[in-house]
Amino acid sequence: MKWNKIDITRYLGAQEYIDTLLIPLVPIALEDSEQMNQVVSQHDLIQAFSNEVEKDFTGRIFLLPTYTYLFTTDREQELPRLNEWINQSQHRPFKHIFLFTFDHHWKKHESKLKGNLLWFPAIQSGDLHSNETQKVIKDQVKHVKELVRSYW
Amino acid sequence: MSEKKQQVSRRQFLNYTLTGVGGFMAAGMLAPMVRFAIDPVLQTHARGEYKAVAEVDEITTEPQRFDWTIDQVDAWYESEVTKSAWVYKDEKDDIIALSPVCKHLGCVVSWEGSGDYPNEFFCPCHNGRYYKDGVNVPNTPPSAPLDVYEHRIEDGTLYLGNAKPRGEA
Repeated sequence: MKWNKIDITRYLGAQEYIDTLLIPLVPIALEDSEQMNQVVSQHDLIQAFSNEVEKDFTGRIFLLPTYTYLFTTDREQELPRLNEWINQSQHRPFKHIFLFTFDHHWKKHESKLKGNLLWFPAIQSGDLHSNETQKVIKDQVKHVKELVRSYW
Repeated sequence: MSEKKQQVSRRQFLNYTLTGVGGFMAAGMLAPMVRFAIDPVLQTHARGEYKAVAEVDEITTEPQRFDWTIDQVDAWYESEVTKSAWVYKDEKDDIIALSPVCKHLGCVVSWEGSGDYPNEFFCPCHNGRYYKDGVNVPNTPPSAPLDVYEHRIEDGTLYLGNAKPRGEA
């Protein structure tokens, strides 16, 4: 289920079946051009990634809008806000919470997060639409799907 | 001159004119009605675009997954959407193309997706199951059979159209 009107209506009618929450984490940068490039490709990739995973598991995964934060802020400071998102989700019958990210800075704070952090090394090959990149992504997505299933 | 005029009598002249005018009026009324009546015949190609999906030789009695893309126009966006189908030949050698979208909550089912249930389609989300012909296994979450794609074969190539719920297809 995605964050849109049609899916929300469906979600509210079948909440008990959708027990997995997916939050993509993406940094934002506006100062440094190099960083901008890097975070934009992270954003593109995470979008493609989460959509693919959601597509196959529509009936069990709820995909939240991307959680964004400044690249320059210490992740330690972001922890309470992100954890508050997760706390809020406990008003709904979610059993599994996955945080998808290509930002390795989170890895260090993994233990303080209230969800399962899934960090992937980003593919920096530039063109997201080239056939080769798509093949690599599809392959990665396949493994991610297996991983998600193993938690159910 | 006057003899020639006599060849068309006043009565005949009036008959011809009335028939002519009446004919035009009748035609004017009938033409749109005929157009309405045969409209469905003329419409067939306008909607439900078919896409080449696979070669007929590739299709076996074992369901295989084929993917293809279509251009989908939603209110604001035009996007490329990937569609998939499970395609196989049944005992009568007819081609069956099933939509992989689970009728429970829309996950993607796969053929023999679980080792516990051979010869069935399996939905990983809530263990929904379907028999090979797409009919849902009773007492599993789905409440309807998998949708069936409209299909057409031309020059050994399989074309698929829209997925229709069972019964309408």
